[in-house]
Amino acid sequence: MKFPFSHTPAKAPDGREGGEGPIDPTEAPKMGGQVLTGAGEPPRDESMLTPTVKEEGAHSKAPTVTAPNFPAGPTKIAAREVSVFYGDKQALFDVSLDIPDKTVTAFIGPSGCGKSTFLRTMNRMNDTIPGCKVTGRIEMDGGDINARAIDPVLLRAQVGMVFQKPNPFPKTIYENVAYGPRIHGLTSNKGELDGIVEASLKRAGLWDEVADRLHSAGTGLSGGQQQRLVIARAIAVNPEVILMDEPCSALDPIATAKIEELIDELRERFCIVIVTHSMAQAARVSQRTAFFHMGRLVEHGNTEEIFTNPRERRTLDYITGRFG
Amino acid sequence: MTDATLSKAGVGADTARVSKLQAGIKKRHARERRFKLYGVLAVSVAIGFLLLLLGRIIEQGHTAFYAHEITLPVYMDPARIDRTYPQGTNFQLMTAEQELKRLGIQDDDKGTKATAMRSLFSSELKFRAAAIVRDNPAVIGQTVTIAAPASDEADLYYKGEISKATPADQRRLSDEQIAWLDRMKSSGAVRTHFNGALFTNGDSTEPELAGVLGAVVGSALMLLVTALIAIPIGIGAAVYLEEFSPRNRISDLIEVNINNLAAVPSIVYGLLGVALFINWMHLPRSSPLVGGLVLALMALPTIIIATRSSLKAVPPSIREAALAMGASRTQTVFQHVLPLAMPGVMTGAIISMAHALGETAPLLLIGMVSFVPGIPHSAVEPTGALPSLVYIWENASERAFHERTAAAILVLLAFMIVMNAAAILLRRRFERRW
Amino acid sequence: MIWFFLLVVVALSALAFFGGRGLAARRAAAKGVRAHSRPTQHGLYALIWVGAPSLLVLILAGIFSGGIAHHALVAGASPEVEQLEPFRREAFFQDAYLVGAGQPAQQIWPAPLTEQLTVQGRRSAEIRTVLNVGTGIAALIAAILGGLYVFLRIRPDLRARNRVEDWIGALLFACSAVAVLTTIGIVFSLLWDSLRFFQSVPVAEFLFGTKWSPQIAIRADQVGSSGAFGAVPLFAGTFLIMIIAMCVAAPVGLFSAIYLSEYASRTSRAVVKPILEILAGVPTVVYGFFAALTVGPALRVFFNSIGDLLIGGPLNDVGLYLSLVQNQMALVAGAVMGIMLIPFVSSLSDDIINSVPQSLRDGSYAMGATRSETVKKVLLPAALPGIAGALLLAMSRAIGETMIVTMAAGLAAKLTLNPLDTVTTVTVQIVTLLTGDQEFNSPKTLAAFGLGLTLFLVTLVLNIVAQRIVQAYREQYD
Repeated sequence: MKFPFSHTPAKAPDGREGGEGPIDPTEAPKMGGQVLTGAGEPPRDESMLTPTVKEEGAHSKAPTVTAPNFPAGPTKIAAREVSVFYGDKQALFDVSLDIPDKTVTAFIGPSGCGKSTFLRTMNRMNDTIPGCKVTGRIEMDGGDINARAIDPVLLRAQVGMVFQKPNPFPKTIYENVAYGPRIHGLTSNKGELDGIVEASLKRAGLWDEVADRLHSAGTGLSGGQQQRLVIARAIAVNPEVILMDEPCSALDPIATAKIEELIDELRERFCIVIVTHSMAQAARVSQRTAFFHMGRLVEHGNTEEIFTNPRERRTLDYITGRFG
Repeated sequence: MTDATLSKAGVGADTARVSKLQAGIKKRHARERRFKLYGVLAVSVAIGFLLLLLGRIIEQGHTAFYAHEITLPVYMDPARIDRTYPQGTNFQLMTAEQELKRLGIQDDDKGTKATAMRSLFSSELKFRAAAIVRDNPAVIGQTVTIAAPASDEADLYYKGEISKATPADQRRLSDEQIAWLDRMKSSGAVRTHFNGALFTNGDSTEPELAGVLGAVVGSALMLLVTALIAIPIGIGAAVYLEEFSPRNRISDLIEVNINNLAAVPSIVYGLLGVALFINWMHLPRSSPLVGGLVLALMALPTIIIATRSSLKAVPPSIREAALAMGASRTQTVFQHVLPLAMPGVMTGAIISMAHALGETAPLLLIGMVSFVPGIPHSAVEPTGALPSLVYIWENASERAFHERTAAAILVLLAFMIVMNAAAILLRRRFERRW
Repeated sequence: MIWFFLLVVVALSALAFFGGRGLAARRAAAKGVRAHSRPTQHGLYALIWVGAPSLLVLILAGIFSGGIAHHALVAGASPEVEQLEPFRREAFFQDAYLVGAGQPAQQIWPAPLTEQLTVQGRRSAEIRTVLNVGTGIAALIAAILGGLYVFLRIRPDLRARNRVEDWIGALLFACSAVAVLTTIGIVFSLLWDSLRFFQSVPVAEFLFGTKWSPQIAIRADQVGSSGAFGAVPLFAGTFLIMIIAMCVAAPVGLFSAIYLSEYASRTSRAVVKPILEILAGVPTVVYGFFAALTVGPALRVFFNSIGDLLIGGPLNDVGLYLSLVQNQMALVAGAVMGIMLIPFVSSLSDDIINSVPQSLRDGSYAMGATRSETVKKVLLPAALPGIAGALLLAMSRAIGETMIVTMAAGLAAKLTLNPLDTVTTVTVQIVTLLTGDQEFNSPKTLAAFGLGLTLFLVTLVLNIVAQRIVQAYREQYD
């Protein structure tokens, strides 16, 4: 049973620090702008490598971006021509996208545009939906995750997920975090397990608040704490990728801020993909952004580019609030 | 990716983790397969039991649907027939003696062989012969051919239930009688035909004449009473509780009360029936009226619960729209909500009637354990009912009742299947998905 | 008789409806004003005021005339009838009623009573006729009075619609009161006769005594109850059979529920669920027949043959015992009762498991758990209270079940926990006491009510506890 664990960068383009940056003219124009009015548009200004904040009239409504230099990793997940069908209805049309490691990539778009669907293809959660079919190729570390030989159970130990509504199990806090390591057999004794639980809770920023009540119910925490517990649970199996489906939409602003802080810390270790309906959040938290609309990937690139100077008309309309 | 690539892949800790993950996975999948197998086994066991149950009943009951008839020439001996009162004549003994003579068998002076031969014919022979004499007195002195059902033991022998292999003292027919039966059969006097008596006769102490019609009519009358009482009252109560009553502690209590009533054992309702309807109100014992009343009380909670959930399923927007048009509460309920909920209500009502049809325990307590011949004509006379008939026949000692009990069960199940199918069809055809 | 009166009431009500409708229209036209309510509603109002009083009279007559007729008949009975024991006396009056109604008596009575039968039969018929005529006249008077009242009141400014709706509300309230009255009736009737029972047999002896043999002197002049009414063997038998039934139903039911809700494809579910519903709809008397004529003999033959094999060997005593077990083993009734309960447990558990929110399943699958791990470690622990409630309800059902045990279990009370023994249960004894040779008001018959009260209380407690648990569980996830 083969499983792509390797971290050897599959495609490390030379001379570039980031994942995408300006369009490489040597690459076929599959990236970005699927439905193109400007497939043959000239490449952008090279100066786009240094992120700046542009203040222009037309973009005055776009959220401001602060994006310091980031050491983005090589491509972790590469999707090619991915389509998803629910029965006869097609929900996703030929999405191709590279997701770099050690980066936060945000999926934005109006509701129903397919961003959550695409997110779920990356840990094969669509397999649990009857009648759902996924075509195309999704590679993680060079291996197609939809290949017959790949066990989704093991894949999901590599790719963790956090959901919109915090869903801790009705068990103690300890048992929640210990769930993953237990079922995957990652520890052999209690001491190790205690260590993993503590480390995960610390990394999720929850340890100080719950250290004295590890054996109380996980459902007794506040919404923000529950979400952090769920993140700790996901971290406990040491995945490589963490997928987050609108993790803050059920939380109040203070809890949201804490989670966003946490995401920023986590990206040093993990590849994070976050679906969000808040453009401000995407601007705050992510380094790469992909804009989905009606099941298609319209545009993707560095976050500040997308928000200050998008290439597509539709992207511009969305981020300035013309529709949503 | 090959294993070689994997082992070359990077950091040591990851390799350890990889191997840990992969070590357990086979066992986990094995456990998963076993668990799924248990589930499949459980479902198969349940289905298997059902098939076993139905199979056994069909196997035991199908023989009851046909019966054997013996056709014999009978000489209407004028010396023995009472012209004024034909039924008084012992036609059976007469026929038995004549048959013995035909077979060339000599009887002893006590007439034991004639008695033995006589018990091979049903007592129905007497009624048929008497009817012939009554209708046409001219036949006296002539020989007529009469066909009468074989007695229950003879019938069982022909069906193979009684066999020569069992020792003679353990079976109801002697070797001699079996020999006679064989001779009658080989002479062509025995005919198999559909056992219509099972469906046209009432109960009888003689198995070959026993039928379910009396019980069927009794059950039908009982269900009529039940339906007339339980359905309107149940719908009325549900409408009140769902649409009119204020949501306070009292209505909560009533709801708990109704849920509890639905779970009370049926025999307690039987006790209530005895104490209230028979001892206090002195209603006639074992009548469809009392049975129907008891079953109505039993069916009431289920009808209320089913109606309430149908009413709940109608979206509030319908009510709001009607009220906004100026309709009163009552008009809203009866002209808008209730008609929309009707398919669900009717389905619930039919299903609870089907359940009521099968209830036996309360009927036993109100007196339906006794033998009731004949077909009932009113709801206030003592009758039987299908389920209590099954109980009575099951306790009967004659062996021939075994197959008839199974046949009666098949009739009961047939009625229930029809009712349930009607309910399901109704639901499919008329139910709305909001 | 009753149908005739009902028809008359219906006809009068219909007349009132049309009359009231027409009258309302005419009066409004005469005054030249617009009536508050439509003529149909006035008609309904008239119908109600004519129909309801007479219907009430008919219902009251239906409830009470039986008792009145009975008392009148008894009061005028001749000395020979008085001398009969209470049970025989009751049966005699039943037959008198039947004879009076023109039907054959159900029993054969010795000579002096046979003429009495005809005499009393005629009296019974006369009393009934008097009562019926009286009822009819009373109903008619009530209808006329109601009609007078309403026709005087029909005016354009009569708020007929409101009145009618008030009546309808009251009627609906009365319907729901029937449900409450049923509970009160059950409790009251059980208590009444149980208290009379406990006057002869002390409660302590009943609840804690270990000898059950309700042999009571048949004739009233044999003083002193020679029967023992210790119900502990009955409780033990009920308990034993219930445990056996749950051992069959709980695993099979639970696992089928898990399979159907988590594993089965839509087509399998669509096929299996109706089959389980069929199993649930089979009447218990059929299960009793199955137990008595198929399972009982089969298991007996099975154990007897094992017993025969063991005789003469080291397990000789066991062998002897096994070769003598009967058809009515507790195991037989318990196993068949378990089969009956499988769909009950399965459908309740299915509901409970489906109530667990999908988010918990998603969370577990996203962690890389297999389906069985999700069920075992997340779903079942989450659903545990609900499943416990479902099992309690199944136990309550097993305790109250009558037909299977009546047909497949025995009559001899035995205090044992051995499933191969013949035991009897509370419900079997209730049936036996009330359908055997009975005498009313003897401790023997009243014992049935004592047993019934105990049964009712135990199942009530189980049901309430189960429903509380399931409700708390559901509130957690709503």
